[in-house]
Amino acid sequence: MTILSIIDLIAPFHPVLVHLPIGILLLACFFQWLTIRNGYAFLRPAIPVALFWGMIGAVVSCITGYLLALSGEYDETLAGRHLWFGIAVAIFSLIMYVLHRLSINERAARWLSLVLVILIAITGHLGGTLTHGAGYLTAGLSTEGKKQTALKPIPNIQEAAVYADIVQPVLEAKCFSCHGPSKQKGKLRLDSPQSILAGGKDGKVLIPGKADESEMVKRILLPIDDDDHMPPKAKPQLTENEVELLQWWVGSGADFNKKVKELQVTEKVQPVLQTLQSGDKLGKTLTDVPEAPVAKADEKVIARLRQAGVVVIPVALNSNYLLANFITAGPMVDSTLPLLRSLKDQLIWLRLDNTPIGDSALDHVAALTSLRRIQLNNTNITDKGLVKLKSLTHLQSLNLVGTKISAAGLLPLQKLINLKNLYLYQTNVSRNDFNNLQKAFPSAVLDTGKYHVPTLAADTTEIKF
Amino acid sequence: MTQKELHDQRLIREAQDTVRRMHTRRHFLKESAMGLGALAMGSLLGNCGRRHENVMSQPAFDPAHPLLSKSPPFAGKARSVIYLHMAGAPSQLELFDFKPELTKMDGQDCPPSLMEGKQFAFIRGVPKMLGPQAKFAQHGESRAWVSEHLPHFSTVVDEVSFLKSVTTDQFNHAPAQLLLHTGSPRLGRPSMGSWVTYGLGTDNQNLPGFVVLTSGGSFPDAGKSVWGSGFLPSVYQGVQCRSEGDPVLFIKDPHGMSRDMRKASIDAINKANQQEYEEYNDPEILSRISQYEMAYRMQITAPEVMNINDEPEYIHEMYGTKPGKACFANNVLLARKLVEKGVRYVQLFDWGWDAHGDAPYNALNIGLINKYRSVDKAITALLLDLKQRGLLEETLVVWGGEFGRTPMMENRNGNQNPYKGRDHHTAAFTIWMAGGGIKKGFTYGETDEIGYYPISGKVEAFDIQATILKQLGFDHEQFTYPFQGRPFRLTDVGGKVIHDIIA
Repeated sequence: MTILSIIDLIAPFHPVLVHLPIGILLLACFFQWLTIRNGYAFLRPAIPVALFWGMIGAVVSCITGYLLALSGEYDETLAGRHLWFGIAVAIFSLIMYVLHRLSINERAARWLSLVLVILIAITGHLGGTLTHGAGYLTAGLSTEGKKQTALKPIPNIQEAAVYADIVQPVLEAKCFSCHGPSKQKGKLRLDSPQSILAGGKDGKVLIPGKADESEMVKRILLPIDDDDHMPPKAKPQLTENEVELLQWWVGSGADFNKKVKELQVTEKVQPVLQTLQSGDKLGKTLTDVPEAPVAKADEKVIARLRQAGVVVIPVALNSNYLLANFITAGPMVDSTLPLLRSLKDQLIWLRLDNTPIGDSALDHVAALTSLRRIQLNNTNITDKGLVKLKSLTHLQSLNLVGTKISAAGLLPLQKLINLKNLYLYQTNVSRNDFNNLQKAFPSAVLDTGKYHVPTLAADTTEIKF
Repeated sequence: MTQKELHDQRLIREAQDTVRRMHTRRHFLKESAMGLGALAMGSLLGNCGRRHENVMSQPAFDPAHPLLSKSPPFAGKARSVIYLHMAGAPSQLELFDFKPELTKMDGQDCPPSLMEGKQFAFIRGVPKMLGPQAKFAQHGESRAWVSEHLPHFSTVVDEVSFLKSVTTDQFNHAPAQLLLHTGSPRLGRPSMGSWVTYGLGTDNQNLPGFVVLTSGGSFPDAGKSVWGSGFLPSVYQGVQCRSEGDPVLFIKDPHGMSRDMRKASIDAINKANQQEYEEYNDPEILSRISQYEMAYRMQITAPEVMNINDEPEYIHEMYGTKPGKACFANNVLLARKLVEKGVRYVQLFDWGWDAHGDAPYNALNIGLINKYRSVDKAITALLLDLKQRGLLEETLVVWGGEFGRTPMMENRNGNQNPYKGRDHHTAAFTIWMAGGGIKKGFTYGETDEIGYYPISGKVEAFDIQATILKQLGFDHEQFTYPFQGRPFRLTDVGGKVIHDIIA
């Protein structure tokens, strides 16, 4: 018992102790090179002294390190490599010390000292990897931060399988290395539903429906310094979101087949699930510029459009894709619109809102088959013209606010499967049409607007003082 | 000596000075091998940094058409910005940052640990803690905490991303406002709106690209510098417009002068300026010419766009406007109209949020209640109105103050203030953003249990600026302007894009 407790007492000092031999031995090597210059010749006697005490420090570090490794908290292969390099440092410094005592030739000693520096560097790096986790040196360089999530964005989170798409990737990234096909620490495997349910040496790890009592959740929630905390301190930890998801899955029955929408989404997990959704329905795809390269548009046409007061610019400096805005084009839009036809490969965003165009103008718009986004709000277009736009297969956003469009006029566009946003405020689309339209455009956000901000008593009263 | 000779002489002297400066610098470098070595290393290391492929330099500044719409370096998600600044700094603890622990400490002496090494604007000695002066509840699907003071805004929390741990290093209004809007607490830097219009121009050449609207009865403490153009060409400074009377001062033709005569006189001035330009080649003269022309065009367009009276009654009711008066709600409605017409950057300042509690008008439970009421409906209406018009996806809306308020009750110069108030607090406050490709219904950052320090998600002014620029299509580190021999940027040497709140 006493021996055990002494081990427990001194083993934790290893990470502190190691810095002594590192410092002392590096100093010895440094002196070795300094003594090339005559001015520093007086340092020569100090070198073997430093080597000796550095060697003692290295031996002590090896012993404490070995004891620490016994705790089993560390990755065995990595800890083993670290240990052997540590021993190499100790032995090599001993050899150098002996050679110095036998007064070997200076040049050989200098090159040997370089070898020692390299050995120390490798040992130190391995030690660092053990305590801080793999990749700690470059962690500061990546923008991802220390905790990397194993989860990739999911296109439709509601339809995702909770176990296969969310839980398993987390377990795979954070648990499989010790509880998987290659290793089964604590006789536990987490790489299949059967093995998860079977549990490990200490019994079951999962009690479906009771996250707080399930060992695999409890261990993760223990403070990181606790010996029983999982994953071990040196290993990549679960992110807060991953913990939240795991708890939610176990808490709601640990079903291996259900989809997200079939489980009760709690308040806490809702925002986490939201972060998994790749982009939200708005936003991301809307500004998407096609990845396929496109030839440069005809500069002469662009110049003529600009002459007519139309803003025509590339969507980005290094892009050939264009956006056009007719906001200052004046009343002569109908005569400039045909010019757009020769930009049909490049033009992806078009603003024709608040212009006097009608259905006939949409003939020209229908030819612009690369369009992603178009604003036709507050124009004179009707259902008759809108039909023509079914040729715009890439269309993602369509703004029809303040036009005479009706639900019947929209239905022919239902083949535009990329349509994500349909703005229908102040149109002839009524609330009764809404359900039918949503069925026709299942993946689009339909916005009929007419939002109301009620006037409360407090809005119009002031506190007098 | 004639005026011209005097001027020429000055020019020659300046040129000689410049040559001498060049000389001495070269001399210095030649003498100090260290210096050269360091320079060489700098340029070597510079190449080791981030790769800049696919980044083309900014479009060249065209002095004859300084406001023409330009492409951003990257395809941005937002095309315009509406920045709602509550000048005086609203209290996060009464609006968004719910701290039940603080209720328990209400009235107790402030623990010394919170005071050590701290400087406050007014608190001296040992202040008392002050619990939240509002009831809070969670709202929307995102379950965001909002207080009873914002009953309307709490219905639209699912549209916004809250930044709960914004921090600043300036505890006085003017420097803090300057830091937030110009990237430096001192005068002289261009404001964010100037940078944006410099980089993107604007879609509507009949209106200014950068409009400023103020309300609350006073200008922000930082004065007009907070929308100044600094060292950028002066055409990029914010144009202050009014929601009462003439939208732009002197936009009406003077009494007795017809529109034609006005045009003729502007033409004459421009002709004289053109001659001046041919002689001196100063690009600022071309900017001046284009500004005169824009002013003339604005005479026709501005009164129409700036007139909110043309809006239908239900829109007025939605925003809670007060026709004929200068107020925040009118400005917000005007901001929507301007963005709709292609204005790039609309900056609102609403003064009167400085809740010290030394008088009823700035007491948290008296005067500030009126402030909350004066903005709540309008802000909510803005988000919903932009949304239903399809403008929210391209318009970035930002709301916030220049810093936050302390969890302690202010005791001015050691004496208890007569009303409930809080001192300036730099370490943690709340700003929210919406639209323009920002996540919907999201909260980033958390403060400790009394809202004193951030415990996660800390962001600073530079980060907010970097994020706004990012949404407009800029890499804030590449977006620079050469001045006094070095490239300057809005975010100085700081700024990290807050990727977490980007959809």
